[in-house]
Amino acid sequence: MSEAKQWNRRELIGGIALLAAAIGVPAAVVSLSALSPDDAPTDRQRAIITAASQHVIPRTATPGAADVGVGDFVILALAHGLDGTRAPSGAAGMPQVARFQRPDGSLRFLDWLEDALDARGRSDWLARTPAEQSAALARLDAEAFAQGADKHPWRAIKALILTGYYTSQAGGSRELRYVLDPGRYDGDVPLAPHTPAFSSDWSAVDFG
Amino acid sequence: MNTPEFDVIVVGSGITGGWAAKELTEAGLRVLMIERGRKIEHQVDYETETKAPWDMPFRGLGDAELYREEYPVQALNRHFTEFTQGHFVNDAENPYATAPGSDFTWFRSYQLGGRSLTWGRQSYRWSDYDFGANKRDGHGTDWPIRYADLAPWYDKVEEFIGVSGAAEGLKQLPDGKFQPPMALNVVEQHVRGVLAERYPGRVLTIGRTANLTEPKPDQGRGACHSRSICARGCSYGAYFSTQSSTLPAAKKTGRLTLITDAIVEKIDYDPATKRVTGVRWFDTTDNTRKQATARIVFLNAGSFNSNHLLLNSTSEAMPHGLANGSGVLGTHIMDHANTLSAAAMMPGFEGHTSFGNRPTGAIIPRYRNMDVMDGIGHTRGFSFQGGALQSTWTRAKREAGIGEDYKARMREVGPWRMVLVGFADCVPRVTNRLTLDPVKTDAHGIPQLNVAFAFGKEEMAALAQAKAEASEMLTAAGGQVMFGFDRPGPGGTAIHEMGGARMGWDPATSVLNRWSQAHQIANLFVTDGAQMSSSACQNPSLTYMALTARAADAAVTMLKEGKI
Repeated sequence: MSEAKQWNRRELIGGIALLAAAIGVPAAVVSLSALSPDDAPTDRQRAIITAASQHVIPRTATPGAADVGVGDFVILALAHGLDGTRAPSGAAGMPQVARFQRPDGSLRFLDWLEDALDARGRSDWLARTPAEQSAALARLDAEAFAQGADKHPWRAIKALILTGYYTSQAGGSRELRYVLDPGRYDGDVPLAPHTPAFSSDWSAVDFG
Repeated sequence: MNTPEFDVIVVGSGITGGWAAKELTEAGLRVLMIERGRKIEHQVDYETETKAPWDMPFRGLGDAELYREEYPVQALNRHFTEFTQGHFVNDAENPYATAPGSDFTWFRSYQLGGRSLTWGRQSYRWSDYDFGANKRDGHGTDWPIRYADLAPWYDKVEEFIGVSGAAEGLKQLPDGKFQPPMALNVVEQHVRGVLAERYPGRVLTIGRTANLTEPKPDQGRGACHSRSICARGCSYGAYFSTQSSTLPAAKKTGRLTLITDAIVEKIDYDPATKRVTGVRWFDTTDNTRKQATARIVFLNAGSFNSNHLLLNSTSEAMPHGLANGSGVLGTHIMDHANTLSAAAMMPGFEGHTSFGNRPTGAIIPRYRNMDVMDGIGHTRGFSFQGGALQSTWTRAKREAGIGEDYKARMREVGPWRMVLVGFADCVPRVTNRLTLDPVKTDAHGIPQLNVAFAFGKEEMAALAQAKAEASEMLTAAGGQVMFGFDRPGPGGTAIHEMGGARMGWDPATSVLNRWSQAHQIANLFVTDGAQMSSSACQNPSLTYMALTARAADAAVTMLKEGKI
């Protein structure tokens, strides 16, 4: 099998990704136009996931999640089912979740998120102040991480936000440290408080 | 008879195929090495080697939708990522069957270099506890060799490929010709000390790995840079692969002919001379069938594919498969039963961290059922591989919170934790077997391999004991055990599938003799994992390489003496 054949197989991204790489635009941003209608979010959903990502990882001395296009990464990731998000959902049994289920049992996460945030904001979540948005999202996060809620849909969305951020150049190499070629291994180095972790510690990424 | 075109045809270019080609060409023979997959050139074709996650369309995680459709098995492999997917087979294009009730994940790499590009590089000698295991407990058939037969070949292989490790003087895991060991980290060093103090006979040591800690300028190979992205391909040549090591050596002789994109379908057998005469293959570049002749055939297609080729090479004289007069061909296949025996938080090292990505873990070699039979419900061994590490950003997925404080917390190096993965010896059973599927074929009309496999009570008992003892040891070392498992993953999980063309004393009950040579066919050698008669509980690749070098030497001697 030739390399060329493999790359051609990427139906959704293919040449778009190569073009994106060539002109320096994150691949996830431009590939949204290639999503199937079923996977394409509404403008409002796109605005919601973008804003929600920035509330999870806000701008500090380093960029926030929305600043680096994480909302669009989550859309792309959900369309392709990364992290098992196209598998039949264990949360589907929750009454407030069941109506966002596809016939195959997987969830329409963005539809669910839109509804969940509006419900917790008691109106149009996007129209609230940033502080109110954040408070509503914090309530949702607290529910999702409560005892016994490990199938909560927010966990999957939050996980993709984190993946999108810490695998971006800013998240991976400015917020955290990225050293592709350490050149040596030292098994015992003093650790000062508040030392950033390595995004390039692959074992830690897998098992940490 | 026409003069054969080659002295030897080597089928496969992976870990053992490369060794066969090197040894045979260096002995003066003209060798044709045939690889079913595409050509991958050292350095030049390692396309993702220096890429960052943000350079990849799916940030290194890969396109899960594509994987569900075309790589559903390979995607289960921890080393399969968006960076490495080009080094694994497309499952949809390379189907195999499983028997009812069998769940077997067959991880494969069809390409020049085979799985030598993606292997875990752990390199261990087997001991007489392993070669004597079948004789001692009666499972399987007795190995016709012992450690002393293989020791000089282990020396040769280790010196050439470069294995870093620490000598420990253990009878169950003999020391080798090691390059300097990689370092234990601060937590592993502590656990080593606790074991030494409280558990006589148990040792935690650094993994012995085919990653160089000193360069090998004669092979153009540099020392490891502690990137731990080996499976992408390493332009430093710091880990052993066909590309970095054996292929250049074989090419240097001027006696190697290499063909890629060629799926060998059949080995030709001449009943008049009782010899194999060559092989036939399907050329995937032009969809034609081709053949070549040779005086000797070495099978190095990978454990299961070597079985497949023998089973598929039927003839009137050999209706049940080539060299299968015993009827045991395809039976007694094995894979290590493995599972995460224990994971623990390791408090007390908050002021310490590590630098660099070490491409090996720490191990605790077997300590049960050696001179005293102290296994509970099993007669063989288990060992642990694992190590201590600190978490990074992925832990954020498990933690509640949003906003600036959360971001600040997730920025920090996470707490130390330690994992021990148990590897249990797999008992050879006649019911675990490979056959040609009677119905299903691949795209080229070749019958699919059908895998029937299940672990038994011995493996379950070993992993139960491993779980209990891993937890006990980590607790003794101050760890807080979070969880552990005692059930193995599906067969194939350890990627140590082996057996099927087992070695043995008796032609009536085994396929190969002590020289990895078919009992029935003097000029046919099978020197990959198919030849294994037992599994041990340590990684097998080094043993495959030593057996290959030994068989190549034997074949050359026999050829010179006119015996084959």
